[in-house]
Amino acid sequence: MGDKIKWESSMDSALARARSEKKHVLLDFFNPG
Amino acid sequence: MDAVTYPDSKVVSFISENLIPLQVQFDAQPLASDFNIKWTPTVITLDADGREHHRTVGFLAPDELIPSLLLGMGKSCFENERLDEALSYLEKVLADYPKSDSAPEAHYLRGVCRFKSTHDPKLLKEAYEKLREEYPSSAWTKRAYPYRLL
Repeated sequence: MGDKIKWESSMDSALARARSEKKHVLLDFFNPG
Repeated sequence: MDAVTYPDSKVVSFISENLIPLQVQFDAQPLASDFNIKWTPTVITLDADGREHHRTVGFLAPDELIPSLLLGMGKSCFENERLDEALSYLEKVLADYPKSDSAPEAHYLRGVCRFKSTHDPKLLKEAYEKLREEYPSSAWTKRAYPYRLL
């Protein structure tokens, strides 16, 4: 556990991790301003 | 969210332990079109097959984001017929974040899960009575209104 969120940046890698770790995905759409 | 909510230590711990976080720019294609993104921040809970189960639009403070994510995971389990897992997420919303905006929906859905698990209609009535008592002005209390007759 770190002090920052370690964001994935691709859907494919997020879903692969979700399947392997049996977790849900938090998908955040942001505006960098 | 990036300035206030995501750096919060409770949020970092919760997300690290419970979810795979994926952050993309609002106009990144094809995802922005696939998910019909019109405003930010938009936060969506997906299952491991990429199916959407819960969405919020607009800023959420740490004590609203965590219960919203728990509710999202509960809805995902409910919609995938994993009722025991759904109940564990929903119970956590109600135990740890009873004053959050997610709590009334969690109460409602907990009643539905308990009914589907047991086929006892009194559990739906009980859900309505709890909602009426604790969240009298919630939309979810109105949605549960017919259950008073069970």
